[in-house]
Amino acid sequence: MSLLEVRDLDAGYGDLQILTDVDLDVGADEYVTIVGPNGAGKSTVMKSVFGLTTHMAGTVTFAGEDITATKPEDVIHKGMGYVPQSDNVFAALNVRENLEMGAYILDEVPEAALREVYERFPILEERRDQKAGTMSGGQQQMLAMGRALMLDPDLLLLDEPSAGLAPDLVEEMFDKIDEINDAGTAVLMVEQNAKEALRRCDRGYVLANGQNRYVDEGRKLLNDEQVRQEFLGG
Amino acid sequence: MGVSETYVRGRRLVVDQPLAIVVGLIGLWMAWFLAAGLAAGRVQFHDVAALLWDGLLRGLIVGLAGIGLSMTYSILNFANFSHGDYITAGAFSGWAVTYLLAGLGEADVGSLLLVGAGGSVFGGALGIGVTTSPIAVAAGAVVAGVATVALALVIDRVVYRPIRDESGITLLITSIGVAFALRYLLVFVFGTDVRGTTAAGFVPRASVPVVDGTVRVTAHDATLLVVSVGLMLGVHLLLQRTKLGKAMRAMSDNEDLARITGIPTERVVRATWIIGGGLTGVAGYMFVLWKGTLGFNDGWLLLLLIFAAVILGGIGSIYGAIGGGIIIGVTASTSVIWVPSEFGRAAAFMVMIVILLFKPKGIFGGRTTA
Repeated sequence: MSLLEVRDLDAGYGDLQILTDVDLDVGADEYVTIVGPNGAGKSTVMKSVFGLTTHMAGTVTFAGEDITATKPEDVIHKGMGYVPQSDNVFAALNVRENLEMGAYILDEVPEAALREVYERFPILEERRDQKAGTMSGGQQQMLAMGRALMLDPDLLLLDEPSAGLAPDLVEEMFDKIDEINDAGTAVLMVEQNAKEALRRCDRGYVLANGQNRYVDEGRKLLNDEQVRQEFLGG
Repeated sequence: MGVSETYVRGRRLVVDQPLAIVVGLIGLWMAWFLAAGLAAGRVQFHDVAALLWDGLLRGLIVGLAGIGLSMTYSILNFANFSHGDYITAGAFSGWAVTYLLAGLGEADVGSLLLVGAGGSVFGGALGIGVTTSPIAVAAGAVVAGVATVALALVIDRVVYRPIRDESGITLLITSIGVAFALRYLLVFVFGTDVRGTTAAGFVPRASVPVVDGTVRVTAHDATLLVVSVGLMLGVHLLLQRTKLGKAMRAMSDNEDLARITGIPTERVVRATWIIGGGLTGVAGYMFVLWKGTLGFNDGWLLLLLIFAAVILGGIGSIYGAIGGGIIIGVTASTSVIWVPSEFGRAAAFMVMIVILLFKPKGIFGGRTTA
């Protein structure tokens, strides 16, 4: 049984349906990416898992529990962390306060988890008193990830972690994600940078027009003639 | 070269910033007028000091009441026009208790609870004051805060929560309706007459020497100063140091992100009404204690200055509300040096407009500090 199971999911915003019959699995410790053209509904899959869209049909199961109708503020209690693509830090709060908010649902700030986040992203410890809104895009992305890791989630959802980063930082960001996955956290990632994402992940989903098109091991998708032609620009 | 450069720079300033020149000239004229007045003895130093003191205290009231307005704006994204009537409601509930405690045995309970409606009891005759009846005053201030919290929570539950997801305009217009309903409910119970609550003779005062005279400082001035500064400091510590305060700042910053972080947003909203309402009620009580009169229009009239203050300070920021309140209060009070006293309010709004022309987002604008 997979950690996350999405079955026949139809979802969207209000009356607008974006996803049709989407199926998706993420196993424990697995690293899964969703790629596809703009407007394919990649981010919508993530948001739907976190209860941020209008659910129309189908189910979302996490660790054996049906979380289809669970509100976003409750999903975090199930052991899932989510890093949205933009506006993913509290700009008016400093770095440490942002991380504390990541562990809001606990009674005490988990010092061990904080330590671990600082070790993984040393820049955050250096800048702990800086207002998040004044940091660079790459630093904000690291802070957003650090915030999501404060509860040591079983599954981390990452929406376009490389978006807007300088080229030399993109590589570093993907390395960090590998490390997080190696440390035992399953990762579900949406990426614009499809080739790099497929190279790194265990399995990939190609999404188009809100529907599953291809599912396979990342490297196989990368070498699949049809996928290359249609989605990866040859 | 020096001359032509100065000329070019001056020309550019006039062309680019005509407003700055005009404002600068007016400022210069005002400074000259004041200096000349002081030198000629037309204006006395101690009068200016007294106006500054009066303005500071008025500003603290505006700022204290403005914190609640600014907080609800930043967390709930709407400008609450019924805020002024929360102030009045807090003042009446608090003063009903003060009258009751101070006048028990001297007048019948009904008249006391109606704060002497229709002239049945006179506050002055009860000898109410922070030194003469400290328990009645302290209890009144606490009840004013608690009653306003209850009122804010009930109105939120019944009126605002069902339309929370509507646009800010819908909420704003609704709040105007709430304002009228609340005000005339107060009129229905307490009547329209403006009553004197404290008699000047009962309030101890000190004369502080200033250059050519003295400034009168009353016990109620001091009480207002201590209570408002203490509460402001308390809110500051709450927002910066406590988990709840950080969650409030986080939510005012980015509500969607707050939700996926697991912050219980409805509970934060409730906390906002509790803190904002409490401060507002106490502000209303202290305002009446300080000025010595109580009427059904007090909060509504104050609301205009409060809006000026929070917009001037940068709406959504509590520091903006405090800073803006003091600027507005001092302007309204000191303006009599230059213009007839009827124009005090107008002067405060003029200053607000001028500051917004230079800093459109307000002094603390763009910083959402809850």
